Amino acid sequence: MDTKKQIIIYLGFSIFCGIASNGIESSPIPWINQPIELVSNKEDLISLFVDPQIREIDLEMAKSLHKTGLLFVDARAEEYLTNGIIPGAIGNNDVGLLSEKIEFLIGFDKGFVVYCSDDDCGSSEELAYELQEIGFMNILVFKGGWKSWTEAGFEIETHE
Amino acid sequence: MNKLYPWILLLIRFLLGVIFIYASLDKIIDPGEFARAIGNYHIIPFGLENLIALVIPWLELFIGIGLISGIMVDGASAISGGLMAIFILLILQATLRGFNIECGCGLKEGEMVGWSKILENIIFLGASFLVWSRSKKLFEIFPKSSL
Repeated sequence: MDTKKQIIIYLGFSIFCGIASNGIESSPIPWINQPIELVSNKEDLISLFVDPQIREIDLEMAKSLHKTGLLFVDARAEEYLTNGIIPGAIGNNDVGLLSEKIEFLIGFDKGFVVYCSDDDCGSSEELAYELQEIGFMNILVFKGGWKSWTEAGFEIETHE
Repeated sequence: MNKLYPWILLLIRFLLGVIFIYASLDKIIDPGEFARAIGNYHIIPFGLENLIALVIPWLELFIGIGLISGIMVDGASAISGGLMAIFILLILQATLRGFNIECGCGLKEGEMVGWSKILENIIFLGASFLVWSRSKKLFEIFPKSSL
């Protein structure tokens, strides 16, 4: 077999494996790299940096964000926290003290997740809006909260 | 010396194979990071760095395996030389343009482009040429050699 054929075989296998392995990846990269979008409208640009955001996330997203080390804030009353919290989460009945702690840990611009006891508890949304008023820019409300986290059997942290 | 030479070439072939396999692993695990490293050279057009980052690490892995196991050594060493020539040109243009970027070579974390990296790749290019131009074939299973 001549060298040219061997090169073609090596290339063929590599192209196949490269594309196939990317295809089965949980977060594949696009085949063609997309350049960072140019913002031409000034209003868009201002809203990108100025508008605070509150978004909702589900259990799966909460789990993957927790893995990345994003801060979790427990909106439940402190007496519930002794039964357990999502690992690394912080909580405080005093919103002022809580916001100081969040600011100290990550500042105002970085995103964090707020959760409460379950789908209907509402305190995570209330806290999210309160924290937004204080000046936090990117808040994610974890729908399902503590209940869905524990029902899924994910790790928890308990304090005596 | 003449009797030893084919065995020295065999050792070079194995070492080259090990280097290619080692260099490929991190890039296969994280092609996105490799694509960013390629993008930093500011020479690949049309966003093709992603496609290159998906294929090149596997090519390195396969030719590494080929060089060690003796499978299609002519093709593997020719590709090895070709890759080295491309890497040399890439690093050379980045060095001449004054870029202070990581080379993305996969051998050591945080290696920067520069003349020492170019010299290293010239040595690998020379090694690839020696393997490709070998007259006596040892321990090659496809196409099969006599020993």
